[in-house]
Amino acid sequence: MSLLRYTLRRFAQAIPVLIGIVTITFFLANQIPGDPVEIMLGPTPAQEQVEAIRAQYGLDRPIHVRYFTYLSGVATGDLGLSIYYDRPVLEMILLRLPVTLLLMLSAFAFAIVTAIPLGVISAKRRNEPADHVSRIVSLIGVSTPSFWIGLVLIIVFAFYLGWFPARGLVLPWADPADVRGAATRIGVLRQTAHHLFLPMIGLGTLQMAQITRIERSSMVDSLQGEYVKLARAYGVPESTIVRKHAFQVAQLPVITIIGLGLSTALGGAVLTETVFEIQGMGRLIITAINNQDYQLIMGTTLVFGFVYVIGVIVTDITYSYLDPRVTYGDE
Amino acid sequence: MSEPLLSVRDLKTQFFTEDGTVRAVDGISFDVHEGEIVGLVGESGAGKSVATSSILRLVDSPGEIVGGEIKFKGETIFGLEEDGGGELRPRDEMLTEEEMRKRIRGREIAIIFQDPMESLNPVFTVGGQLREFIEINRDLGTDEAKGEAIDILREVGIPAPESRYDEYPHQFSGGMRQRVLIAMALACQPDLIIADEPTTALDVTVEGEILEMVKDLQEKYDTSFIWVTHDMSVVAEICDRVNVMYLGEIIEQAEVDDLFYDTKHPYTSALLDSMPRPDETVDELRPIKGVMPEAIDPPSGCRFHSPCPEAREVCREVHPEPREMSGDAEGTHTAACVKHDAFDIGYDTSPPIDTEATGGFSAGFTETGGEAE
Amino acid sequence: MSVNSATSDDDTPDNSDESGGPDEVEARVGLRYTLKQVRQDTTARIGTYIVGFMTFVAIFAAFDYYVLDYAIAEAVLYNPETDPQNVRRLLPPVGMENQFGQGVLEHPLGTDHRGRDLLSRTIYGTRIAMTVGFLATAIGLGGGTVIGAVSGYYGGWIDDVLQRVTETIYAIPFLVLVIAFMTAFGRDLTFAMVGVGITAIPVFNRLIRSRVVSIREEDYVEAARAAGVKDRNIIFRHIIPNSFAPVLVQATLQVGVSILIVAGLSFLGFGAQPPTPSWGQMLSASRGYMLPAPTFSIFPGIAILITVIGFNILGDGLQDALDPRINN
Repeated sequence: MSLLRYTLRRFAQAIPVLIGIVTITFFLANQIPGDPVEIMLGPTPAQEQVEAIRAQYGLDRPIHVRYFTYLSGVATGDLGLSIYYDRPVLEMILLRLPVTLLLMLSAFAFAIVTAIPLGVISAKRRNEPADHVSRIVSLIGVSTPSFWIGLVLIIVFAFYLGWFPARGLVLPWADPADVRGAATRIGVLRQTAHHLFLPMIGLGTLQMAQITRIERSSMVDSLQGEYVKLARAYGVPESTIVRKHAFQVAQLPVITIIGLGLSTALGGAVLTETVFEIQGMGRLIITAINNQDYQLIMGTTLVFGFVYVIGVIVTDITYSYLDPRVTYGDE
Repeated sequence: MSEPLLSVRDLKTQFFTEDGTVRAVDGISFDVHEGEIVGLVGESGAGKSVATSSILRLVDSPGEIVGGEIKFKGETIFGLEEDGGGELRPRDEMLTEEEMRKRIRGREIAIIFQDPMESLNPVFTVGGQLREFIEINRDLGTDEAKGEAIDILREVGIPAPESRYDEYPHQFSGGMRQRVLIAMALACQPDLIIADEPTTALDVTVEGEILEMVKDLQEKYDTSFIWVTHDMSVVAEICDRVNVMYLGEIIEQAEVDDLFYDTKHPYTSALLDSMPRPDETVDELRPIKGVMPEAIDPPSGCRFHSPCPEAREVCREVHPEPREMSGDAEGTHTAACVKHDAFDIGYDTSPPIDTEATGGFSAGFTETGGEAE
Repeated sequence: MSVNSATSDDDTPDNSDESGGPDEVEARVGLRYTLKQVRQDTTARIGTYIVGFMTFVAIFAAFDYYVLDYAIAEAVLYNPETDPQNVRRLLPPVGMENQFGQGVLEHPLGTDHRGRDLLSRTIYGTRIAMTVGFLATAIGLGGGTVIGAVSGYYGGWIDDVLQRVTETIYAIPFLVLVIAFMTAFGRDLTFAMVGVGITAIPVFNRLIRSRVVSIREEDYVEAARAAGVKDRNIIFRHIIPNSFAPVLVQATLQVGVSILIVAGLSFLGFGAQPPTPSWGQMLSASRGYMLPAPTFSIFPGIAILITVIGFNILGDGLQDALDPRINN
């Protein structure tokens, strides 16, 4: 009950931020030079045609009116029309968002699954060879641009070794008939995994490195905690201490870092989708910008913002669930 | 006297740091007999906590026990011997790390730590932590251990233990958490409990309650205690015998009454004088002058010579060994101060030195000399 | 975002040894202390060497570019394809061979798709990366310091408004925010820099604000206020110098982050435009030739990697050196 109330309260608190995102997005998009109508109709359109299009997209009204229209539209799920695709913006986003979410989720899954053992081993064997290796790996990981990792992965694993495809993505829910080399659902899933592998590593490496670093320092702190000394003094086996006593406390900062990493990863998704030519939200926003489709620019930008805000709320709730010291009531 | 429960002989624990070797515990010897509360007193930095973690062989790196012997109920917790080539190696009968963990820690010797706020794990329930230690050290099943845990929580004075069992440490006050830590120690039914300044972090009224409770429970279970503290009033309250530590050495040990009424070492006197008493005003308090030097580079001769009000030139040169003071063979009162070795060392003929405590050449000699009697 | 506000204060280094004294003297002591600590810390020293080397290369490249030899600049920017006699495109590094030919000593790292020398373009890329990294960080640091200091010092509604605004900026994934910003104002390097600087404002704002809030109540600040010292002077002479160490650490790391983001932007076509040699833009161009000439894609990335590692090592080293709690 209290967890539910906490969740609702966190969402309520996020509303001003969400409105802020819409506002920033709206005014940035309105700064965009060039006339979208001109792009649509070519350089010398007929005057009445222009007027009609302007009226259709509401471009003839003053900016503050358009702002409030847009805001109320967002509240009801109406993000306007994409000029370039000639379809509702929301429709385009709903088509592309699952792709990006799939990429993000797999990247974080990869990052968490590899980083936590690495960080724990590193902390447990502090200043031993295993620790040095893990620290160097994570240092390189946080210092390498994700798109370059993608390029190198393509060169090595797609071109030279030929183990994985270099571009595209197969969605797990795609119709087997549409997927090359897949006759059944299992075949589709295999194709998905096959295509997802390189982008997942490309996008997940930075997160992996960051989580490893925080996991290590957090575990080092935790292993020096008084409660660990106490457990040792009461004969608790060292493996239990690492896996339970020290570990659980050490995960709290890790959750925070995962939440913050969402922002980097969403940006990274734009780059990764470009490198691997995956048609997700990242490509959508770039297409929108290249075609000055400002409704679509606004829609995609604010969906990126919303996804991040929701992600942060989810990590907040996870945190409060794991840390009994966080109260659900008012601070 | 009977065989002691715990016997520590010439224990040396050192920390190997970048700045040099810290001789945190430098050759201390003491015994704990059954049913006894033995005090280990000294300022912070004297090596008390290192001494107690050495007994459980829980000294963290870069620290290491480098010499001496620790025996508990006939078993060797620590002991070295020379191998053929003159190198020291652990004796064969010394308990392995595995045996220490399974047979000694918690089960035979339990510890109560100083900081009740940090010692409990914040993400587990109080009851769960207590139950885990009981399960490990008393070979009980989960349900039995839970029952025991609730009983012991009640015993240490936690109200409504059944409901508080499922609460988290942050929901307990400092005093309550300290009671939980005491409950952990008692619940494992060890023969010896090491209490490492357990009441230092608490306010005075809570401290009083807890001391009372420990005294009652000690009588009931007949557990031995090593009580580490820097507070002489706590010593007076609870201890049977006392070891006074200064810079890694035990400089005086005695029955508690002897220590208070027949003080032999100037440092012990200084400690006693720095203790507030109801019949004195603040002006009359005499804090110990000067700070304790670093154990990394201990002073020559007597380590206390620089703050000592009774120091003479000889104290700078001669390192005093603990000597029997009471005259009986049992060694119930020893002190390490050359002023009691007058004829051998020449303390009386040695000129007083200019120390932080005497404040000048002329001030100290007769006045402070008389005071210590 | 309560993930940020609730817990990340723990992440910022706490330099307790600087909280003692008040004014500019303290800042100078802070600087001298820092230099001394850095000299003693191996990691920080390695970081200093890398960053120093890259700065040297960048200054050298800039000097060369603007002052010395116009011919070199021309070789970097010039498109040899217009001169069919001179086409030596996509050559591999010296000692290697690919379908376009054999590596030659004249182009130690090979050439790009227009036959330009990769080594000199990579060197010239340093200039852009370092400039952008430092300036973007400076913008973030300046903006964040002012907002954080004002917000933390005055509290109340000023604090509320400023914090909501920075929170909102922070809530848009920063690459997306910079792209939107650049779409609105311009796609060249200047706006990339400003945009990245703006996204760094919330980072420094939070750091400075939390320190200001805690220092505000210190005795010497109270005393200064009681003595009639102006608020502005209290903030700039007492509070900010006291935050020297954690800000230095954060700023060092932020330079690396900014270089990474700007490289990403250039890769997407936002930022340095061809023929300007920026690392991100070089990588973007290399995408079409990954199969026949993979080394084209490798070297600019290694340049980014080394530079950013330099700043990260230096930042980590500074944090260890300035934070007495951590000892490895």
